[in-house]
Amino acid sequence: MATPLETVIAAARDLLGERLSTNATLREHHSHGQDTQPPHLPDAVAFVETTAEVARILALCHTHGVPVVPWGAGTSLEGHVTPVRGGITLDLSRMTRILATSQEDMDCRVEAGVTRDQLNTHLRDAGLFFPVDPGTAACTLGGMCATRASGTNAVRYGTMRENVLGLTVVLADGRVIRTGGRVRKSSTGYDLTRLFIGSEGTLGVITEVGLRLHGIPEAISSATCQFDDLRAAVETVITVMQSGIPVARIEFLDEVQIAASIAYSKLTGLEAKPTLFFEFHGTEASVAEQAAQAEAIARDYGAHGFRWATDPAERAKLWQARHDALWAALALKPGYQGLTTDSIVPISALAEAVLGTKADIAASGVTAAVVGHVGDGNFHTVILVPPGPEGLAQAWELDKKIVARALALGGSCSGEHGVGLGKREFLEQEHGAEALAVMRSIKQTLDPRGVMNPGKMFLN
Amino acid sequence: MSAPADESALAAAIATAAAAGEPLAIAGNGTKRAMLRPVQAARALSTANLRGITLYAPKELVLRARAGTPLPEIEAAVAAQGQHLIAEPPDPAALFGAGPATLGGIVAANLSGPRRVAWGAMRDHVLGLRAVNGSGEILRAGGRVLKNVTGLDLCKLLTGSHGTLAVITEVTLKVLPAPEAVGTVALAGLDAARGVAALAAALGSPYGVSAAAYLPAEAAARVGFAHAVALARIEEFAPSVAYRTDRLRADLAAFGPAEILDDAASRPLWRAVRDAVPLAAGPADAVWRVSVRPSAGPAVLDGLAVAGLAGFLDWGGGLVWLAGPATVAAHAAVCAAASAQGGTWTLFRSPEPLAAAVAVIPPEAPALASITRRVKAAFDPRGILNPGRLYPGL
Repeated sequence: MATPLETVIAAARDLLGERLSTNATLREHHSHGQDTQPPHLPDAVAFVETTAEVARILALCHTHGVPVVPWGAGTSLEGHVTPVRGGITLDLSRMTRILATSQEDMDCRVEAGVTRDQLNTHLRDAGLFFPVDPGTAACTLGGMCATRASGTNAVRYGTMRENVLGLTVVLADGRVIRTGGRVRKSSTGYDLTRLFIGSEGTLGVITEVGLRLHGIPEAISSATCQFDDLRAAVETVITVMQSGIPVARIEFLDEVQIAASIAYSKLTGLEAKPTLFFEFHGTEASVAEQAAQAEAIARDYGAHGFRWATDPAERAKLWQARHDALWAALALKPGYQGLTTDSIVPISALAEAVLGTKADIAASGVTAAVVGHVGDGNFHTVILVPPGPEGLAQAWELDKKIVARALALGGSCSGEHGVGLGKREFLEQEHGAEALAVMRSIKQTLDPRGVMNPGKMFLN
Repeated sequence: MSAPADESALAAAIATAAAAGEPLAIAGNGTKRAMLRPVQAARALSTANLRGITLYAPKELVLRARAGTPLPEIEAAVAAQGQHLIAEPPDPAALFGAGPATLGGIVAANLSGPRRVAWGAMRDHVLGLRAVNGSGEILRAGGRVLKNVTGLDLCKLLTGSHGTLAVITEVTLKVLPAPEAVGTVALAGLDAARGVAALAAALGSPYGVSAAAYLPAEAAARVGFAHAVALARIEEFAPSVAYRTDRLRADLAAFGPAEILDDAASRPLWRAVRDAVPLAAGPADAVWRVSVRPSAGPAVLDGLAVAGLAGFLDWGGGLVWLAGPATVAAHAAVCAAASAQGGTWTLFRSPEPLAAAVAVIPPEAPALASITRRVKAAFDPRGILNPGRLYPGL
């Protein structure tokens, strides 16, 4: 008699033909994200092309109790896409249709496999853009919804949470629902859209996304400045935010990271010192005005080496360097893996959190760079993991220390990467047993057979 | 009406009611009692005594207060530090004849003002909550940091759930520096379709428009205009407001000559739009809010005139405020007009007979309704919190 898994694979093959694959190379490719979690092979990979196909496969898996792991581009940093219990990996990367764009309503609807790069290329001629920008441009909008992604623009434009109007979701049993809509606001009924945003594939599979768009600013300018000590850089950020300057991006790179980026991205005119990158969006006049105000504040805190970039090529180089920070850090130690922490603290505690982290790094003996979206108190430590199991243990220990400090300071273990496999143990400490019980109860009620991305977010 | 003195007493009261299976009507100051459906409950439970700001860190742009704290107290505290509440929540006095609203009530109803079009709803600025679920257990959701991706987003789920999932006891909000100055570009004499086209152009401009409303002649007259008017607001540092309103006026020249309203004229005008003052709602009338794509707002507004409904548009055309006779026929006309444009509707205020007789918000598709019921059961298994507030039997 066929096992449940064999039954599902056979039925899925009837449905998808060659788009259902058990090929070893493809399975290996779908066995991990961009993280240090141990890989695990899915039993098969289903390349779905429509919501109806997703619904059929989920209904199959639900009936037979076979795990399903949704996959966008596989850029997760916390093991979200690792099929720890095998089963079917549902690859949505072929669902790339842009279904509608409205210039006057400033919204669009896309399939879940559309990448943010593809969307912004499509929107450019309409004078619009989608602002949420995680570290990679290859990530899909479905994945960004599932992980409540964010990025350097969050200070001004918010995260996925604020920029999604509605979703099409396939539930564990194969039923298809539409949440939200094209309207900006819907105070009717519960906000189920936000329940799925950040649910990490544990409640259902997002197949279509309605997004709120923004006008491309008339003028953009960027700036860098450097400080002799980290505290002054953080104070500058706090004062800029508090004075109401509508800064679009404000990023911090510590001396280790900037040295790595100078080498990797061939940046000139910068030294290995705590550095801030700014970006301002608006009209020609307002950008100049915002920039002048920010510069005055930074100088009060002892900033030097102020440089403005309004030339698009120069600006692009700067922000590409910021987006490539992870690769730059990895280049410091060829052959090492990177483990990226993601804690977020109240901004008043940011200097304390980062200084404490740097002390922990020094004590641990590993190399790590600190880079962060300091406008909201979120910073990443790129820990360069020495090869071998001991190195990984050392890196995880450092990560735990950094998380513990963030929680003690009233923060969170993750500002944007999510829980996945790596942060499950911190969930109860952060939210309390009662809130966690409600989350589990919602999971149980929407996915009673526990087939949706099992093993993620919740322990057991 | 029982109004416990602190969170643990409130939790105990809910636990007692849960044990007895006794439904509770949940309120803050009770200002929005005429909103949505009437709650059938033997007893009422109020958060009005849970008062006070428990944390305000102006440098961090974060404020935390107990749910029963009157909104004006919070607005005064942030204003003293040159800051404001981003979503610009309305004062219910104009529409509901009672006040002041409490913070918990505003969050439970997810009420936002004109700035929502540019800066998001009340929900978008709620960083964390404490609440008591239907079993009398105290929950924490979210935190005090500006973003967070750990676990299911219970915070956004509780915001706007109208006290049907849990009773909010404390709210942590993001606040922002208040703009130094406000200016408005006003285009007179346009019909609704042209007016909304002008607002779309204004919102798509690089000048940072923070509110966009269209008032037909009758509504405009209530706030001192002689003709229908399309209004776009800009908030910033004073010199920047002068520059941007001027540039915006030039960019909108195709829509006709525009007047620029200064700070002194703009502030009370937008307060009036926020509180729905331009609405001609008599005491016996019903009030609806229809949400549609901004470009569909004019069709809804114009199409309902024959049904005896009048109103105005906010959020660039995406929010249609309507007032008219509290009849089943008028309500059916509103629902049909909203549905025809793919939008949603809320019977926002009405005399009890109408609210009890009709669906006050659109019924959900069966699959969605089943999730709603299951989410309700996860928080409030005995169904004692505000039963019937949103849907009959929920």
